[in-house]
Amino acid sequence: MRIRLFVRAVVAAVAVPALVVALVTPGRPAAMPEIKIGTVLPLTGAFGSSGGYFKQGYTMAIDDVNKTGGLQVGGQKYHLNLIVLDDGSDGTRSRSLVEKLVTDQHVNFLLGGYDTSLVEAQEVVPDQYKIPYVEGGGAASEIFKRGYRYIFGTLATVYDLSKATMDFIAAQQAAGRLPKPLTIAAVWENTDHGKDYIDAVTDAAKAHPDLYRVVLNQSFQLNGSDFSPLLQQVKASNAQAFLSDAHLPDFITMHRQYLQAGLYNQFVSYGARGPDQKGRQALGAGADYLIAGLWWTPALKDPASQLFTERWQKEFKVIPDWFQALSYETARALLAGIDKAGTLDGPKVRDALAVLALRSMLPGGVIKFQPNGQASTPYLMVQNTPGNTVRIVWPRNLPETRAATLPMPRP
Amino acid sequence: MFSAQNLISVCITSILTAGLYAVMSYGLAIIYGVMKVINLSNAGFLMLGAFMTLVYSQAWHLDPIAGAFLNMPLFFLAGAAVYVLLVRRVRQALPIASLLMLFGLWLVLQNVALTIWGSEDQSIITRYTYKALPFFDYRVALTRLIVFAVALAVMAILHVLLNHTYVGKALRATVQDPQAALLAGIDTERISAIAFGIGTAFAGFAGGLMTLLFSFTPDFGAPFQLKSFTIIVLGGLENLAGVTIGAAILAFAESFAVLFMRASLQNVVAYALLVVALIVMPGGVASLFGRRS
Repeated sequence: MRIRLFVRAVVAAVAVPALVVALVTPGRPAAMPEIKIGTVLPLTGAFGSSGGYFKQGYTMAIDDVNKTGGLQVGGQKYHLNLIVLDDGSDGTRSRSLVEKLVTDQHVNFLLGGYDTSLVEAQEVVPDQYKIPYVEGGGAASEIFKRGYRYIFGTLATVYDLSKATMDFIAAQQAAGRLPKPLTIAAVWENTDHGKDYIDAVTDAAKAHPDLYRVVLNQSFQLNGSDFSPLLQQVKASNAQAFLSDAHLPDFITMHRQYLQAGLYNQFVSYGARGPDQKGRQALGAGADYLIAGLWWTPALKDPASQLFTERWQKEFKVIPDWFQALSYETARALLAGIDKAGTLDGPKVRDALAVLALRSMLPGGVIKFQPNGQASTPYLMVQNTPGNTVRIVWPRNLPETRAATLPMPRP
Repeated sequence: MFSAQNLISVCITSILTAGLYAVMSYGLAIIYGVMKVINLSNAGFLMLGAFMTLVYSQAWHLDPIAGAFLNMPLFFLAGAAVYVLLVRRVRQALPIASLLMLFGLWLVLQNVALTIWGSEDQSIITRYTYKALPFFDYRVALTRLIVFAVALAVMAILHVLLNHTYVGKALRATVQDPQAALLAGIDTERISAIAFGIGTAFAGFAGGLMTLLFSFTPDFGAPFQLKSFTIIVLGGLENLAGVTIGAAILAFAESFAVLFMRASLQNVVAYALLVVALIVMPGGVASLFGRRS
């Protein structure tokens, strides 16, 4: 009798709270099966800001689907469950956490981390377990040269970013805004991201010696603390243009020290950095007139981009950067692949992603993956303008494109 | 690259950087000198110094230089409290105990900052943040000049305090021989608490000054920790004059190395100097000259 009472008490203690939780959990009927989507992001550490944006973007895309009653796969509606882990911006931890998501959490699909170095650390896992992995945080072409079949990336390569920058410079030279040939001091982070960037710069300089002359080619350590010795060499090079490939924390530190040292170049670009809200906040007017190559910008006037910008501002009270747009579109791409495959089977979803053509707010309007898994959307060149505004200055064929202010005004 | 103008410019940068390096390493040297404890939490207090300066700036529009000075008494008290509550209890144990405890404290400070301020880059922009002053044919960042001048002034004050006050003399006596200091009637426990307080005050002060030059996150401080270790090893661990020389050596080595090698190898310079110092001159540069202050 006592034993029976004890068993009843235990059952009540376990079952009642579980029942209450099941009843009060919003938006998900108790019988609805779920699809687990895992992601490992740098929510702390050097890339904490960007990782946070990715989490917000992924969550928004997943919530959009859950609000409509879940994802329809093979005649069955599924609730989407996003599991997010923090790697602290550490590559070794990042890789093992992705593996943990697969082996402990049994996730069905994976969304990628941020940045190139962390995506490179993670990318060995998906092929091992045949789990499709879509990322929007790693743009180095090296990620897609390793022969992995389950990795898909929505960012066009950094090589293309750098090439777009060089093409833009050539157009400005043709318009008489920059000298010909332009002497360039190029510094790049010592990662595959940076190598992609400098490769395109040196390739362009070799192909067009009449347009570009690289007078300084230096690498620096990712997440550096003090760039003043390097900037001293930029100064000594007397270059007319300063090109740097840097991630957000390094961009903020480097450009702050650039301005403090009283440097001036007619053309300054930090790759994809410059219009980031965090950067503009940290640098104030010092970030005005910087040129950047981007995958997306809130300055785009197409309805999808405008709608996304408005939604984001309403929900998070900040202007979205490309990080948020790309993470949102990356999650959408994965969900579209699952929808197209009509199954949760990893290899079949992988095949569906390989032939996916998803209408998107990204430039070009469509996300399609090349045979190596990387998307090839066109780049936009933008210029920061005073008052925390940005204008699109390239390509010419967009209605919102305006002429760039070059040479950059002296501070 | 090797023009006279560039070399002079590199020298100016190095001298200004050396001032910053010295001020961020003094605290570490004082604490090691008095109690032979390597304060791994120094980087945490450096970071906290930067964030506190941000708080003053946001709440009262206080200039970072004033903020750095305001940090000094607050961090002194915090350091003394850390000594009394934590360090004193493990001081007599194996060095690994204090190392691990202070490393743990660093992690706690990092996580506290992460909880309060998040992981985003923070920065303080003043009216003079982007100003550069003409100096003959060169332009020198005003903020670097300010940091250098303030660091020099504080070092001079510290020198006076160490040489002309009872506490300073007692502190130096404890550095030289704790047993003899005790026999001479010096309350070495109190002096140790003061030393930990001064060391922590220097970390908070340096963190405040560094907001003039760098943006910062809760991870701020970690890259400077290695530099501080290199500097105090070069300086002879407990020798304050040696710390100044060590700071100058590291600053010059880092700046000139960029002329010969990739800037991405900048940290290698600090590691190499650390190894060379430990093997070739474990007593630091001061021992090469046969004198210790």
